Amino acid sequence: MAKPLEGIRVLDATVWFQGPVCAQYLADMGAEVIHVERPVTGDQARGVRSIAAVPVADWNQYFLAVNRNKKSIAVDLKKDEGRELLHRLVEKSDVFLWNQGLESLPGLGLDYETLSAINPKLIYATNSGYGTAGAVHKPSFDMTVQALTGIMARLGEPGEPPIYLGLGAGDAYGGLMGALGILLALYHRDRTGRGQAIDASLYGAQLFLAAPTLQPYLATGEAVYSLQQSRSKTRNPLWNRYRAQDTWLALCAENSDEAWQVLLGCIGAPGLGEDARFASSAGRRENSEALVAELDALFASRSAADWVEALVAGGLPAAPIEAYRGVAADEHAWANGYFSRVHCDELGEEVAIRGLPVGLGRSPGSVETLGPELGQDTELLLFDVLGLDWDRIGELKELGVIP
Amino acid sequence: MSQVLEGIVVVDLSREYWASLAAALLGDFGARVIRVEDLSTVARDPGRDGIYPVDALGSEARLIHRNKESVALALADDAGRDLLGQLVSCADVLLTDAAPASLKAWGLSDEDLLTARPEFIYAVGSLAGPEGPASTQPPLDELAAARSGVMYSLPEPGQPPVNAGAGQMYTSVMLALGIVTALHHRHETGEGQRVDASLLGGHMYASTLTLDAYMAMREDRLGEPRRRFDAANPMSGISYPSQDGRWVTLTMPDTDRWWPAFSKIVGLNEDDERFDTHEKRCGDARLAMMEVLEGIFATRPAAEWRASFDAQNLSADIIERYDYPAVDPNARKNRYVIELDDPKLGKIKSLGFPIHMSDTPAQLHRPAPAVGEDSEAILKTLLGLTAEEVGELVGRSTVGIPGSVS
Repeated sequence: MAKPLEGIRVLDATVWFQGPVCAQYLADMGAEVIHVERPVTGDQARGVRSIAAVPVADWNQYFLAVNRNKKSIAVDLKKDEGRELLHRLVEKSDVFLWNQGLESLPGLGLDYETLSAINPKLIYATNSGYGTAGAVHKPSFDMTVQALTGIMARLGEPGEPPIYLGLGAGDAYGGLMGALGILLALYHRDRTGRGQAIDASLYGAQLFLAAPTLQPYLATGEAVYSLQQSRSKTRNPLWNRYRAQDTWLALCAENSDEAWQVLLGCIGAPGLGEDARFASSAGRRENSEALVAELDALFASRSAADWVEALVAGGLPAAPIEAYRGVAADEHAWANGYFSRVHCDELGEEVAIRGLPVGLGRSPGSVETLGPELGQDTELLLFDVLGLDWDRIGELKELGVIP
Repeated sequence: MSQVLEGIVVVDLSREYWASLAAALLGDFGARVIRVEDLSTVARDPGRDGIYPVDALGSEARLIHRNKESVALALADDAGRDLLGQLVSCADVLLTDAAPASLKAWGLSDEDLLTARPEFIYAVGSLAGPEGPASTQPPLDELAAARSGVMYSLPEPGQPPVNAGAGQMYTSVMLALGIVTALHHRHETGEGQRVDASLLGGHMYASTLTLDAYMAMREDRLGEPRRRFDAANPMSGISYPSQDGRWVTLTMPDTDRWWPAFSKIVGLNEDDERFDTHEKRCGDARLAMMEVLEGIFATRPAAEWRASFDAQNLSADIIERYDYPAVDPNARKNRYVIELDDPKLGKIKSLGFPIHMSDTPAQLHRPAPAVGEDSEAILKTLLGLTAEEVGELVGRSTVGIPGSVS
């Protein structure tokens, strides 16, 4: 089965995570993605072990999983000859992707005007930090941008520290938005023959990520949407997290009398059913602190799995709140390709990494290889794509343009 | 062509926030999105989870149903289902989060549609994907968050699990992305297909880095709730309270690069023997340095810290609340936040567009419709019904128009 992006060549001149994860989608879907890296050190994510920012296994899963299905070319873009190589590759490519600060692009000869003059059909894509229109050029790592959007400040119980959404949670969203922008631009090119520039910034994506609460805040200006909320002071105690004997569970029932009766039946609490405070939806809303305390005490008596089985049998949506061990064993996660197995050269065995985000019935993507060695495809690409000969490649090596 | 998806017709048969939003993303880029509201079921209550009051200004719909037309049909009636089938046969794409059983009952099984029209794109958003054990659970964000490991891992130890809500927002984009990928494939080959995205897949994508680390090492500690000072690096992935009770946050993982400027700002000697190498900062002196920084950040208000960070171009900032992006000129310039003219409310802010396209930008063609606002027009122009026929269907409550539906 042909993959949907076969025949599309992408120059992925990105580092760390937001840009690489954007290009990962294109690679998973069959595009020829060439990770363009600096000679010697390459993408900074190759050195992630030394900086103690993320946990790293014996093999560098941070870099190798995110850059799967890609080739690597090492070229020094600060040298004129390196820039010329890239320009010639641009001529033969469909997409150029960049995430290393917009302000450095003109000096490197990699601005849109230059590259689109070389290849008018080029999709010129950036994953910027703060957008292309505002001239904001400060550093843009995942957590500091998350902090700016306001999304962290509303999470957690009142008085607790703000909560980070998890390593790269904003980066990957920016990457996914970038992929959507690139696919839209490709489809436009399919129909018109014209390329264009697209940008999906980390800040813009993360503002959108906050939509369920940021949108009502923008409209109303009411502080409540931006503040931490106590799980005890809720308008609906039936839609909440409860601690069972072993772990927590999530219950998602509407605050209706019908759901209340079902809940009482499931949890076997006749006393609670006779409590007049909780007899109506308004009562349950107004007495939420008391009801949450009652339910906490009840749920503490059995395991989360037991409760969830009873609740689901009664028709109430519920799930145990699992640690990562749970999702690693989740049948749906494996059956739907959300995990992939792929060979790891360092270990000489298969490893499991996160799989495909989107299922396609007739032309599905796949995970074939882990990320490339630095510059492993440099010579072959210069031969095959640009038609250079050994003499020229030798010169470029001597000049330090390629390793 | 002024917009990418001009001429593409999408039938939006969704119920949940995230699925409806996926259809709006297609509308933002020019698709004609016909939203079908089922009069036979109770509409989703946006405030059902009880966490926040329902926004009285209806801003949710302004986002997730913008750029759509609305047709209201009673899908429990044969005649309503027949109209839905006719609408789908005029469309390029069906986008739905309905259960397989419901789709079958409506005459919209994937097999039938894709056999009859191989070029059709049948896009489904679900709780956990089409394969695997059948489940009767509805596609709710919290249920997938609970399964994904992320909800468990986010709080401080001893605190209740936290659903950040990221997974459903990922799933919206994934569903739209899958559809546009399928449109490209259709352009190349002529063939349509089924597209799937799920909340479980969305939450897993949102936690890629932690999940990949867990899968590589299989150590439970990687997904356990962490204290602030469990951070591996005192200058990265950590927050400290400032004098005025706000928080500053630092992400300077390669500390050697930042240390000369950072040490100056916080009043430490660059040559301070306790902290003068990356190895010390992230090794034996890690905790001691966090305690020292905790004391230092408590001495000045957050705004002063930001001024210092900005002056040195450090990767550090304040943990803001939503009042920041609401007035941030950069958010406006990039159209991440837009201002609308509402006929009743006047100027009102809304989220804008997270993707910039130079030649075919996202546009707001029309505000979110009232339920059934376009029923009459669409049945007449697209399906060729006469005014009398539509009137009769409205009279029988098979079709809803504003005023006839609550």
